[in-house]
Amino acid sequence: MKQTFIVSVIIVVLGLIFSLFMSGMWIAVVLPLVIMVSMQIPGRRAFGAGFIGVAFLWLVLILIKDVPNHHILSSRMAGLLGLPNSAMFILVNVLLGGLIGGLSGWSGAVLNKAFRK
Amino acid sequence: MRKVIAILPLVFTSLLVYFLSKPMGSIPALGKLLDPVVGCWASAESVNKNYNNKLQLDGLKEGVIVSFDDRLVPHIKAGNDYDLYYTQGYLHAYFRLWQMDLQTRAAGGRVSEVLGDKALKFDRTQRRKGMVYGAEQSLKAMEADPRSKQMLDAYTAGINAYINTLSFKTYPLEYKLAGFEPEPWTNLKSALLLKYMADDLTGYTEDIALTVLRDMLSPEEFAALYPERLNGVNPVIPHDSIRQTASLSAPVVPADSIAWAHLTATDFEVEEEGKGSNNWVLGGSRTKSGKPILCNDPHLGLNLPSLWYEVQMTAPGINVYGVSLPGSPGVIIGINDNISWGFTNNYRDVKDFYAIRPVSATTYKFAGKEQPYINRIEKISIKGKPDYYDTVKYTVQGPVMYEEIFHGPGGLKKPIAVTWMAHRPSNEVLALYMLNRSGNYYEYVAAIHNFLCPAQNMIYADRHGDIALWGQGQFINKWRGQGRYVMNGADSATLWGQNIPVAENPHAHNPAQGYIASANQTVTDTTYPYWYNGYFYEFRAWRINDVLRNTRNATVEDMFALQNDVYSVLASNVLPVMLTHITPNEITDKERNYLNMLGSWDYRLMAESKAATVFQVWWTNFYAALWSKRFGKIPDQLKPSPERTMQLLKEESPYLGNIKDAAIASLRNSIDSLEKLKKSDRLEWYKAKNTSVKHLTKLAPFSYTDLKIGGWGNTVNAAKTDHGPSWRMVVQMGDAIEAYGVYPGGQSGNVGSKYYATFLDKWVKGEYYKLSFYTADAKPAATYTWSINPKNK
Repeated sequence: MKQTFIVSVIIVVLGLIFSLFMSGMWIAVVLPLVIMVSMQIPGRRAFGAGFIGVAFLWLVLILIKDVPNHHILSSRMAGLLGLPNSAMFILVNVLLGGLIGGLSGWSGAVLNKAFRK
Repeated sequence: MRKVIAILPLVFTSLLVYFLSKPMGSIPALGKLLDPVVGCWASAESVNKNYNNKLQLDGLKEGVIVSFDDRLVPHIKAGNDYDLYYTQGYLHAYFRLWQMDLQTRAAGGRVSEVLGDKALKFDRTQRRKGMVYGAEQSLKAMEADPRSKQMLDAYTAGINAYINTLSFKTYPLEYKLAGFEPEPWTNLKSALLLKYMADDLTGYTEDIALTVLRDMLSPEEFAALYPERLNGVNPVIPHDSIRQTASLSAPVVPADSIAWAHLTATDFEVEEEGKGSNNWVLGGSRTKSGKPILCNDPHLGLNLPSLWYEVQMTAPGINVYGVSLPGSPGVIIGINDNISWGFTNNYRDVKDFYAIRPVSATTYKFAGKEQPYINRIEKISIKGKPDYYDTVKYTVQGPVMYEEIFHGPGGLKKPIAVTWMAHRPSNEVLALYMLNRSGNYYEYVAAIHNFLCPAQNMIYADRHGDIALWGQGQFINKWRGQGRYVMNGADSATLWGQNIPVAENPHAHNPAQGYIASANQTVTDTTYPYWYNGYFYEFRAWRINDVLRNTRNATVEDMFALQNDVYSVLASNVLPVMLTHITPNEITDKERNYLNMLGSWDYRLMAESKAATVFQVWWTNFYAALWSKRFGKIPDQLKPSPERTMQLLKEESPYLGNIKDAAIASLRNSIDSLEKLKKSDRLEWYKAKNTSVKHLTKLAPFSYTDLKIGGWGNTVNAAKTDHGPSWRMVVQMGDAIEAYGVYPGGQSGNVGSKYYATFLDKWVKGEYYKLSFYTADAKPAATYTWSINPKNK
């Protein structure tokens, strides 16, 4: 639990720095993988940490844009995707990030295991 | 086995990323679009965004200051012409790049490149009507004059300076949605955009339909239903302003057997109409201030991002404010320190069709000889498909638009070539350059004489008290009837003859009546010595003239009211006739209820009026019923005009058949539609007609619908479903110029910006902004400032 939390925080902090020069997608794919490869975390927890870390990272990145924008863009994008409101759009978007981050973290854990053998 | 399971997460991750980064069908690459850093979120602009900026731009000659006012209208102050147009290009691109890109792609028939083969037919149409050919011709003329060449070069450089700063992250959102990229701007693109306007305003193909109708009806019938000139019109140019001498004599009319082609078509395709415009000007004798007041509201497609972009441009020798077209340098409609001007479409016919007689696959018959076609190969790139090659044959008349391989309206297979003024070289950019700098009537005239296509009614007022209007464009000295129908392409007698000298175009300068008004009506009465035909509309002109004729002591507020006037001249003339044909005991209670709503109606198509909806629905059905026997399935747009129908109705013309039967049957037919509207709570006129301002992609969440605005195409406030007043402007030309304006959009093209549709509300309500026109004496404080300097090399 504690480990998951710490790894998530690392993902968020590093992710925020990387977001200055990398796309959110690359961060979600690469960062959890690299972290899990370099740390010894069981697969299920690696998925959880990757998921939570990237979801939270994306949420922060999105809110930084969405709040000052007064949800103008997110409301329109929600409409485009057939979602009822901007909150739902953000949720879907964040879950997508979490899924990528989780899979990436899991992959990292598997690789770590493979290297250790 | 464990090893296989071990690589599963890697496979899942790779697959997910792969699918997210690939567009599928019309769905964009979701991974890129939803990326919180570089995806759609990059377009979410803070509502408190500080637009202040310091820029270093390559190619600029001196420093430029851009002051934005609170509506985000830029006021450019440059030290020379080059920098002025460079900065305008940069601003257009900064706020409107995607729209400029898409519209010029559309103009040049290159939409398939980005949308795939569903746009192929559209692209072929554009190519076959010679859009690129015409733009190339005009570009030659534009680049031959140093002033317009510099203007275009600078404008293009400014746009490209902005495009060069972009990466995927900073692309306008629409690029991310449609999955394509901005490409470098060229002078040709600006020329294409102007041809796009020419096509929008002069590109109609009614000659072809009229040819079929002429052959379908008896000569007397045709003359009665489709008169060459309507009686009882209020022409644009007052009678006493028409110069009745012509330097060219009328060409000899060839015999019918030589002149005309005959066509058969099984059905018709109809283009959506609805373009029109109003402008009028009152001399000091009719205004309270004693100074002229000029008004203009061009009716064009209502889209977002808006067609127009407000801008003020100041440099030595020029201080101009108005609306510009993203994609073209200069100000199109506006004011400067001394004059104001505006445009409506002139609608004289400058596009004629010829039936071509092919001899072989490569030759056609002309003037008794076999002539080779000149082929122009149009390469159309298609997204995800191999290139498409279309061969367009050019004859002496122009491109063969329709033929066996590309059918015309109504399934026409006969080769039809088109001669069109938009194919000829012309330098509208120079016209705008000079017009923006004009200080008096004579400079205005010299400027607009360079404006050849699309022909416009160019209205004018200045601070000296002069008012004027020119029906300006390049016209041909035609023989009587020339080009009204599809002509015989094998004979040289049908070719276009000499140009009418532009100085002989119809115009009025300080006419005795003290005002001039144009609303796409007939340009002159028959004393104008040159023959012409056109596609004129009369209702708005009738109304505007009725009001202005009795106007004294006019104020700008009176003019706001007139621009927002929704009085239906049609209704006031036809409804009383329709009602006389209804006998109370022949109708049901339901029908009576609706008719009762019309009893106290004042013929105004007000937004909330239910009576307006009842009339409009009934009239539509009545009009169809009146002509159904004679015209069968021919669509409404090709039937005798509503103006002519109204006249025939009042005369109880026998051509209409049994008017009483039509009135009752159409009332009966209307009840269903009216009940449906009532049930869905859409009986109020604005709901029934649904005026919408849609994003160019038509995506609903980027669009506004059900706008609470009255009017229709035949009222002064011509708010139709997707066309309407695209810019309303009222200017009083006093010692200080007092100018007001509003357009249905906002300065920013970004759907994630609060400036995307800022002005829409006021436009709907019929309110105006006072335009902040900076002069040497008055320069309000800027809300934001850009200081731009040349990049040090």
